[in-house]
Amino acid sequence: MIPPMLRDATIFSCLLALLSTGLTLTYMTTKVPNFAHGSFAAMTTYITLILVKILKTNPYFSIGLGFILGAALALILYQAILKPLLDRGASYIVLMIATIGYDMILYSLINILADYLNRTYKISTRLYILKSYDLKIFNQPCIFIVAPVMAVLAITSLYLLLTRTKFGIAMRAAIENPALAGVVGINVNLTYAVSWLIAGGLAGMAGALLPLWLMCNPDIGARLIVSVFAASIVGGLTNIYGAFLGGILIGMAEVLGTGYLSLTVGTWIAPYRPIIPLTIMAITLLFAPRGLTGISLRSLRRFRR
Amino acid sequence: MIPLALTFIIDLLALLGIFIIISLSLNIEFGYAGIPNFGKLLAVAGGAFFIGAVPGRVLAYIYGLLRKYDYIDENVKVMYVLGKILGANPLMSMAMLIVSLILAAAVGAILGFIASYPAIRLRGDYLAITLLAMAEILRMIGYNYRDLIGGTVGISVPDPFRWIGGELRLALASSVIMATAIIIFIYVELLSRSPMGRTLRAMRDNEAVAEAYGKDVVRLRMKTLMIGSAIGAIGGALYAFLCGSVTALGYDRVCYTFWPWVMVVIGGAANNFGTLLGATLFVTLRKLIIFYKSSLQPFLPFDVVWLEYLLLGIALIMVLIYRPEGIVPEKPTHTLSKKRLEKIRKLVEARGA
Repeated sequence: MIPPMLRDATIFSCLLALLSTGLTLTYMTTKVPNFAHGSFAAMTTYITLILVKILKTNPYFSIGLGFILGAALALILYQAILKPLLDRGASYIVLMIATIGYDMILYSLINILADYLNRTYKISTRLYILKSYDLKIFNQPCIFIVAPVMAVLAITSLYLLLTRTKFGIAMRAAIENPALAGVVGINVNLTYAVSWLIAGGLAGMAGALLPLWLMCNPDIGARLIVSVFAASIVGGLTNIYGAFLGGILIGMAEVLGTGYLSLTVGTWIAPYRPIIPLTIMAITLLFAPRGLTGISLRSLRRFRR
Repeated sequence: MIPLALTFIIDLLALLGIFIIISLSLNIEFGYAGIPNFGKLLAVAGGAFFIGAVPGRVLAYIYGLLRKYDYIDENVKVMYVLGKILGANPLMSMAMLIVSLILAAAVGAILGFIASYPAIRLRGDYLAITLLAMAEILRMIGYNYRDLIGGTVGISVPDPFRWIGGELRLALASSVIMATAIIIFIYVELLSRSPMGRTLRAMRDNEAVAEAYGKDVVRLRMKTLMIGSAIGAIGGALYAFLCGSVTALGYDRVCYTFWPWVMVVIGGAANNFGTLLGATLFVTLRKLIIFYKSSLQPFLPFDVVWLEYLLLGIALIMVLIYRPEGIVPEKPTHTLSKKRLEKIRKLVEARGA
């Protein structure tokens, strides 16, 4: 059968890839590392909780709802906060702090929601996990199938959108050169808003699937965001396919690395798990600052010679 | 008996002093030098962890307690004995406080030196994220490596303010903290008016030009981070002494990185008075919310802490959108007064003649 550690790694890295792809997409448009990206996912974990515990329905309905909620949250951030700041030519630091402020607001709303659900419906809303509510397919938990399928579906449809549709090509043009794109009649603001919408939606989808496999808490966004940044930076922050690869790589390295290290070195090493993505990120930044996709094949060939 | 209002103010001043110190250090790094230090926690936690790990051990070694007790496992017993000794010995207490603060600043400077490794190689948001990651790693080590500061449980710190006794302890602690904050404020203000302060601004505004005029940008960035981190570590160390204990979990990036950023940005970056105002507004608002917590709580179906986060987040975004340069914007550099200029002119003429 499939070893449990590999299953863990697959699910985690697929969810991470969904998150990092979205983060990179927003970074490419507005050039700001969005600190609130983890909280989009944290918010939608509660949709799954509500669906399962209060409405007693199928947890997978939350994928669609999560997409909508995540997209709405991201759109508000872009349209109401970042857009006015960008129009005034704010520096990346101001934008970063604005996303942190938005993250604080979301974090408090998540906690308020958690407290409210806890008091009204008497369900545990902190450190909860919904693994036992998952369905089974071929003796495997359903999420083991759904997470990779969602990840592959997301990246494929993004690829098709960006290369095969007129709007996607306009999006790429607006990312490449906003001024020139505006000159040829592309609505740059609309394309950016759609990028944020997609990114938030992907984060919301990942968040909706999280509680089916991992222990969730209102601060899960703050814990995940470090791995998401690491994955995006490994991917180069300029390429969504790189970010996808980075997500898979970081997720695998985190779960498998911690697993094998605790087997060989000792279990005391397990709590240090978040150091793995941070180390990979630091190495990438110092030695290949443009990320995986920045390494050109020609320079590698030269290196071999 | 100290009245309630006075206790509130003393308590407020203690916290205010600590956040003034931390936000001033960030103002040097970000406001003047333009280094986006999103790892302020690294220095603050470094200072606090040092206070948790070293002074108690040294004292226990001097008084021969380490032979009898295990420092981590029997921390309570060690602290009981040390508390008695320090309580009877004001001179020793104050000497320990001052020496620990100086050493904490040294530890901070070392951490700043380490942080300057990425800071001279990376720019912008990449650097911000790397520094943030470094701070997280330190925190994780403090949380998981039990021998350092007791891991998940935390550790007690020898109390240098105990000798004064009872209710006056907090008053003494907060006056020490305030005095330190004032000294640091004067230092930072002098630094920002000095040639180095002007060079830092030049580097921030246009690095290439500063370099062309012969300024060593690498050294400047390194120096700035070392000074900033040393000051930040003093803030963390004072907080550890104020609380009487250190827990790695208590040092999170929201409280010691993001909130100092909020203070600097709301008050006005590259203006020490702005930073002072930002810290005062922020800490007072927080304290008031905590103070009225019990009277607000019955009306809310959730914990009041989250209301605090919500209000602060909204206030931050409002300031960014409507007053991006902060409440007190940056002012042109102070040059020498006219009197001094005249004096220098005369001196030059006299020498020329």
